[in-house]
Amino acid sequence: MNQQIRTIADLDRVIHEPGRLMIAALLFAVDRADFLYLQHETAMNKGTLSSHLSRLEEAGYVAVTKTYRGKVPQTLLCLTGAGRKAFEQYRRNLKKAL
Amino acid sequence: MDQVRNLLDRPRLYYNIDGLGDLGGGVMCLGFALILWLLMRSPADSVWHQISVLVMFGLALLIRYGTKAVKTRITYPRTGFVEYRKRQTQVIAAAGGVLATAGMAMVFRQHWDISMVACLTGLAFAAAYGYYFARAVRWKWVIVGTMAVASLVTAFLPADILGDLGSEVPAHPDRAKPLGTILLSLMVYGVLLLISGGVSLWVYLRHTQPPAQEGQ
Repeated sequence: MNQQIRTIADLDRVIHEPGRLMIAALLFAVDRADFLYLQHETAMNKGTLSSHLSRLEEAGYVAVTKTYRGKVPQTLLCLTGAGRKAFEQYRRNLKKAL
Repeated sequence: MDQVRNLLDRPRLYYNIDGLGDLGGGVMCLGFALILWLLMRSPADSVWHQISVLVMFGLALLIRYGTKAVKTRITYPRTGFVEYRKRQTQVIAAAGGVLATAGMAMVFRQHWDISMVACLTGLAFAAAYGYYFARAVRWKWVIVGTMAVASLVTAFLPADILGDLGSEVPAHPDRAKPLGTILLSLMVYGVLLLISGGVSLWVYLRHTQPPAQEGQ
């Protein structure tokens, strides 16, 4: 296996999935955002977005905080330190692979 | 990689999705123009000269917190809440402040022609506006073009027109043209930003609906 192919094989599978890559990239650029913002930007339905977020949360890349905006429940999301590192590493690897 | 880059840019573009950034900028420019005009037209010993800095500061605070309040009521319930990275915002604000101060110091020390400086500043602002906002919202290129043309026209306007606009009480003939140029630039940019922000807000309100109250 040459180096380039090995780099592709090393890509983080959790982030590499297109839906999760969108979420990680959007969250990487901000401190935190709510569920509605991610839904608006990714155009995913609630179920799909929730399932991707659960996968990222399981991997320890996303932290979820349930709160209220007035009387309306709000889900705030942010990338954890591990999530930021993983995303940066993913971008480096992708650059190398391309 | 370009697509990842675009995704990383999206939160920045989201800031002005509702046009409130433009509206804030427009109110700021027109507010400063009004303050400058009042300063020029009021006697040197009037109370206005003592409180003008406070009024400017108050206007800046009003725009900052007013924008936040409107976003909380209109934007966040419709298309979501974003908290931007504080360090990034502070670095941009600090860099902008340093550049503006350095630019002003240079202009006054070198006695540059203020019309040309206003023209170059206007063109730079139009370019930055195009890069940051018009790339995502195509019709804003019309605003960018109008800003650029307005900057050029301001630079080549006859001195007597600018002098009339910038005439003071009591008169200082040497300051009339620079003040007229600054006043005209602020008014033109203020109006353009208000138009741009107003259209953006109208389009945003037309195309988004507040979600049912079931949580986000």
